[in-house]
Amino acid sequence: MSTPDYTITPGAAVRLRVQDYVVRFFKSRRLWRTVLSLAGAFAFLALWDYASGNIWAVYILPSPIDVVNQMKQLVEDGTVWSAFWATLRKTLYGWGAAFVIGVPIGLLMGRYRYANAFFQDFVYILANVPLLVYAVISLVIFGVSDTGPAFVVLLLVLPAVAINTAAGVKSADEGLLSMSRSFNRTPLAVTKNVIFPAVTPFLLAAGRVSFADSWKLAALTETFGGSSGIGFELNTSFELYSVVDALAWMFFFVIFVILIERILLLPAERRIFSWRNPGEKLV
Amino acid sequence: MDPLEATQSNLPGIDPTTETEQDLKDFEAGVAERHPSKRRRYLGWLTSDEAARWTARLAALAIWAIAGAMFDRIPTPWATFSFIIDEAQRGELWGPIWVTLKRAIIGLSIVLVLGVILGFLMGRFWPIRYLTTDLVMAAIALPAFIWALLAVMWFGFSETAPIFVCVVSATPMLIVNTREGAAAVDHQLSKMSAAYKVSKIKEFRHLVLPTMSEYIFAGFRVAVLAGWGAILLVEWFGNGSGMGWRAQYWYDGLNFNGMLGWGVLMLIVIVGIDRLIMQPALNRTRRWRAREDQAWS
Repeated sequence: MSTPDYTITPGAAVRLRVQDYVVRFFKSRRLWRTVLSLAGAFAFLALWDYASGNIWAVYILPSPIDVVNQMKQLVEDGTVWSAFWATLRKTLYGWGAAFVIGVPIGLLMGRYRYANAFFQDFVYILANVPLLVYAVISLVIFGVSDTGPAFVVLLLVLPAVAINTAAGVKSADEGLLSMSRSFNRTPLAVTKNVIFPAVTPFLLAAGRVSFADSWKLAALTETFGGSSGIGFELNTSFELYSVVDALAWMFFFVIFVILIERILLLPAERRIFSWRNPGEKLV
Repeated sequence: MDPLEATQSNLPGIDPTTETEQDLKDFEAGVAERHPSKRRRYLGWLTSDEAARWTARLAALAIWAIAGAMFDRIPTPWATFSFIIDEAQRGELWGPIWVTLKRAIIGLSIVLVLGVILGFLMGRFWPIRYLTTDLVMAAIALPAFIWALLAVMWFGFSETAPIFVCVVSATPMLIVNTREGAAAVDHQLSKMSAAYKVSKIKEFRHLVLPTMSEYIFAGFRVAVLAGWGAILLVEWFGNGSGMGWRAQYWYDGLNFNGMLGWGVLMLIVIVGIDRLIMQPALNRTRRWRAREDQAWS
């Protein structure tokens, strides 16, 4: 009686390995995630394409292809870059001012109970103001100008900066603080070497959370009283009653927000946080 | 004398008398930390939290008054508030507020239903989550004012425009929070209720709902703020009624008191809603946590 031959030919080994790989590939969540997210986007575009022309007239809801063509044209013009830069510049001015004013306030709030109570109401109120009211304030004080958007971005961002600085101060290492007290370090040195390293990650978190909001507010204020920027372009398309233009700018807006978040803020945060928990994957 | 105590008091560099004084001071500071009422006795009412809050309010009013007196463009506080009183005497105050509130109630009810259903489905079933995550993220990145401009072009002067913009700009915020809540339901407990054949309704009532309600209300609070802002924007850009329209009306008349007056009113209404309705509701959803802590301690 001959024994059956259990040896595997090289061809069969390769086939088995490929089979194994394929099975694992199709079972992985990651693949489904990508496929489904693409499917969702395509389903949305297909619905939109069907709706324009069939349900609503083309001038009310232009097809995605029209919008993409319009976007291409705006990119070739160079309008996009100048508008993008104008809005970004105003937002950054507002952010700079918010850091200059908000960090000292946050340091006080983290250190003294009195300061905490003093600024509590301001922080609460400023965080609850509807964006339209900010735009109105900008119009009242500055009229049609570039200072207005920067000023209201400052007002919007200030609470986030102050609260996060205060949280950072409270998170500073008590042991290090009492050690610097017993070694008679100056308050300046303590602030520089103990408090600032504790505060930085919190400030970055504040930046990431409120960047999108501040960017929206800058554009909104430009719509009301601006002479350049994305909001100004949107207002122009509104006055010309051009839905294609408005939709094109809308998509540019989303792309900018996501690009800035993914390319600038997320890697920066990852780098600054990396010393804390090197093994842990950041969400 | 206790030998240990004797060694301690003879240690070089430590003066026992100053040590006790310092201890007393530390003790007083500790008492002050724990009991604000006793703190007042020590340091006076002027440094209490309440005094700090009132100082801040008065300082804000003073800064506003000085800015108003110095610059022509900035209205003074009394001009603004007397404008509001004038508006009330003209009978133009409550109408716009009520119109906007009505729109907000309709729009936010739709947001609540849609957001909770979609968020729950996204949290419970992963194919739906992956299908829609990117779309929801894009919807959050979209600002309300672009929706407002589009809605005015699409629907013109109608009731549809404000409610549409309220729904599209506030729902994504609620969806994201509800999704987190649905994902936060304790897996161990839901497995256990399956093992003990607890009915789905009972499981929903005692496990899913308490976990999710906290997330839902936290998200709804953000959604209320977003929806309120969105409705005001639509009213400003193209509508014949409501608070946003009224502010725009005074802007066309170049009456800065009127603009700022209505801005202040918008702020007062939303802060009132937040303080009187949203915060108590949110605290109510968190009650069971406190009870659970008590049960364990």
